[in-house]
Amino acid sequence: MSNFYNMPKLPTENSPKVEIFVDDKAVMVPGDTNLLEALKAVGIETPHVCYHPYLPVSGNCRQCLVEQEGPRGRMLVIACYTPVTPGMKIFTPASSARVKNARKATQEFMLVNHPLDCPICDKAGECTLQENYMEAGQNESRMRPEYGKNYHGNPDHQFIDAKGQVRGGKHVDLGPRVLLDEERCVQCDRCVRFMRSIAKSEQLQLAGRADHTYITTFPGEKLDHEYDLCVTDVCPVGAMTAKYFRFQKRVWLLSHTPTISMDDSLGANIWLDHADGRIYRVMPRCNPEVNRSWLSNTSRLAFQGFNKNRLPAMGFNVIKSAMGEGKVAVVMGGACTIEDMAAARMLKDSMGDKVELFGGSLLKVSEPDGIAKSGDPCANRAGLKLMGFADVSELLKRAGEFKVLLTVNADLFGEDAAAAKALEAIPSRIAFSAFNDETAKKATLAFGIKHWSEVQGTMVNNLNILQKLNACPVCPDAELRPAYDVISELAGKKFESASAAFKKAGEYASVLAGLSYDTIKSTGKLLEGGEA
Amino acid sequence: MAECVKVCTQNFGKGAQDIEVYKKLGGYANISERLFNMSQFELIDYVQRSNLRGRGGAGFPTGMKWSFVPRGTGKPVYIVVNADEGEGGTFKDHFLMMEDPHRLIEGLIIAAWALGTRAAYIYCRGEFLPCIESLNKALNQAYAAGYLGENICGTKFCFDIFVHRGAGAYICGEETALINSLEGQKGQPRLKPPFPAVSGAWKSPTCVNNVETIMSLPWILQHDPSEYAKMGTPRAGGTKVFCISGDVKNPGVYEAPLGTPMMTMINDYAGGVVGGNLKAVLPGGSSCAPLTAEEAAVATMDYECLASMKTMFGSGAMIVINDTHNMVDLLNCLGNFYSHESCGQCTPCREGTGLLHRILNQIVAGQGHDGDVELMQSLCGGFGGVTICPLSISLGGPVGSYSAKFRADFDEYIAKNPDHAKPRIQETYRPGIFW
Repeated sequence: MSNFYNMPKLPTENSPKVEIFVDDKAVMVPGDTNLLEALKAVGIETPHVCYHPYLPVSGNCRQCLVEQEGPRGRMLVIACYTPVTPGMKIFTPASSARVKNARKATQEFMLVNHPLDCPICDKAGECTLQENYMEAGQNESRMRPEYGKNYHGNPDHQFIDAKGQVRGGKHVDLGPRVLLDEERCVQCDRCVRFMRSIAKSEQLQLAGRADHTYITTFPGEKLDHEYDLCVTDVCPVGAMTAKYFRFQKRVWLLSHTPTISMDDSLGANIWLDHADGRIYRVMPRCNPEVNRSWLSNTSRLAFQGFNKNRLPAMGFNVIKSAMGEGKVAVVMGGACTIEDMAAARMLKDSMGDKVELFGGSLLKVSEPDGIAKSGDPCANRAGLKLMGFADVSELLKRAGEFKVLLTVNADLFGEDAAAAKALEAIPSRIAFSAFNDETAKKATLAFGIKHWSEVQGTMVNNLNILQKLNACPVCPDAELRPAYDVISELAGKKFESASAAFKKAGEYASVLAGLSYDTIKSTGKLLEGGEA
Repeated sequence: MAECVKVCTQNFGKGAQDIEVYKKLGGYANISERLFNMSQFELIDYVQRSNLRGRGGAGFPTGMKWSFVPRGTGKPVYIVVNADEGEGGTFKDHFLMMEDPHRLIEGLIIAAWALGTRAAYIYCRGEFLPCIESLNKALNQAYAAGYLGENICGTKFCFDIFVHRGAGAYICGEETALINSLEGQKGQPRLKPPFPAVSGAWKSPTCVNNVETIMSLPWILQHDPSEYAKMGTPRAGGTKVFCISGDVKNPGVYEAPLGTPMMTMINDYAGGVVGGNLKAVLPGGSSCAPLTAEEAAVATMDYECLASMKTMFGSGAMIVINDTHNMVDLLNCLGNFYSHESCGQCTPCREGTGLLHRILNQIVAGQGHDGDVELMQSLCGGFGGVTICPLSISLGGPVGSYSAKFRADFDEYIAKNPDHAKPRIQETYRPGIFW
């Protein structure tokens, strides 16, 4: 509860290995972490509710109990707060009936006041209580209705707290995006710790005592932080629900595509959860080096516009003729992948000095927030630099030299209409864009391509980590093609696949040479050096 | 009843709230004459030899506790006096602070010298308003007389005492919860380690002592530590202030040496049991296991004897119960108290105390069923040693021991339900509108 507690130490690849005894068997585990993580590293899962690797340890759920041999005999300790020490003797439920019973008892207590509304709960299917129960418990309930909390009796399941005030309820409106179900809450205080130590804004608090404890905001205040939807991720049960996802889809019907959020140069790792050809929600994908388990609301809710206002596909020959004879300026936006850039470089190779390459965004760069945003809206800026693209500001100064402007996912007019006015002097303006945005409207030819959520590719984030995008099968129009596909055809040598395009990129940027698209890990690869 | 040496209560009824009276009775002589001639280590050794054990309930040796406080860390060392007396049946600290506040101040100056402390806090229970007034009045007098503040008694030693008023939570008597509350956070126990002696209030070394422990210090310093040690048992020296309440003729605060037989306390000091025959005694506050009349006849009031009888000495608060009472009523009362005072942090305590209370409520309301007692005993099995602080055991322990020792009382209540032999109706789903 208190901010006195420290962040858990997580094991890394370089952690020293120490020998401990688990159920009288010697195992080598990472030595600089807590017992829960150490046991996980050797494949022993410990059920836990309140522990979260990226939140301070509060140790209040008491679900992760193990037995430890100590000077005063075998004691029950919580695995999440016990540091690994060489030679320690640990007993898990596999050998200790006491641990098994203690965990069973804790689970029973946790379910005393937890409603069995799993059939209508949004968290069902990914709920920690369900998982713990199915894995270790499946015990018959000894609870009876009269043992539960004294509810007020109204349909909203409000209860009367120790001071006689009516509290709780099935839908407590915390703010513009989050709804709280007080009855499902198990008081693990993960959301409180998230708001306190990650979001650094104490908007949520635990109030009351005993089993009348409830999560609340300060009187009259709202939960309206940029990261407030993260509390729905950290909530182990269905207490914190996101308004946009409430009752939309059962989670086990969703398919998950691991990809990268291309609206910020940190490149937050995300899951696109989709079903029936549309995205239902975006979830953060844990990457310890990049965004840990966090995702900003902007990145999370951006998917709602992915299939709106799209440009239609068009015949390829139209562009070929539109390119004309004059000098061509190619501008790549921040959402372009390395593969798109490789195709553009190939276009330059095939057309010679007639083509000049620019990249970037006209949006303002702000400060990093230290959670999951770098503040730079040009996502692949490092990739543009790597592939030898000049900054777009260069083009604004020399706009008069060019006869053709080819923008790829670069909404220059939408980003800064005043600065982009100079570009209107270019007679032929071709826009390759997923959306019918300002640039597409001002273009002489607007050509629909796939959105970044629908393509395979790679990007380099501001930490110089090469990250992989995957195609989510939600493209609204089967005719649409990825940008690299169109541009490489324009260059006269169409790429077979994204991996072929990535291989080509290795020819232009030496740090990418020798890498293969398929071997990039889901958590990315840190590039050496950086300059091409 | 043998007349015993009074360590803490010698000034009771003599008007020692006033500093002049207190000085005439020998107060503050330690400070002006003895204290500053001793080194810190001499003083800690002195206290260790006196065999003084903490009077708050756990009975940890005070000298040893002080020796754990690290020195030279660059951080200030704080002393916090635990005056958040909330355990059922305990009222000694209240009287001690009301009657003799200067003794507490004198004791604190001694402790401060031993630990090299600049500031101490008296965390006083919020309901003790007259007590806080009395303390503040005494503090003002002590400041005016030069015993507190800058350069005490012409030395370079500076020391301040602040009285902090709690907000009336039982759990704030637990030392880490007390520190949290003192810091302005929610009063919930902290995970240990680190222990307060290493990292307590404001992450500085902190020594938390009970009022009575601190108030024993002036006497120990005035006399020889061996004299104090001689009064008690071999493993715990000195006298103890007992609070005797319940069905006795003269309930109140009595000081007696450790190791006094329990029946002597009840019959000689408190004037005997009234209203019936002796049924049970809670020897150390509401959270300990009760002793039956037979056990009470052989028990002595000290740490070791009571531990061997599977109960505890606790704060020395004896609650005497006669045979007109049903123990289930008493347990229900405890259930009400502990389920209300649980801080709501650990799952077993948060949910379990409330659950036990509701089952007890059912039994008392005449709706008990066969198997309820076994269910409660089984639930209490999930309490032992699994929570951050021992509050859950404070209810779990009594539920187990009451139902083991006084099972007939439970059966009597359960028999009031005509359908007690039938199983409870299993409702698989609670009806309601959910969205």
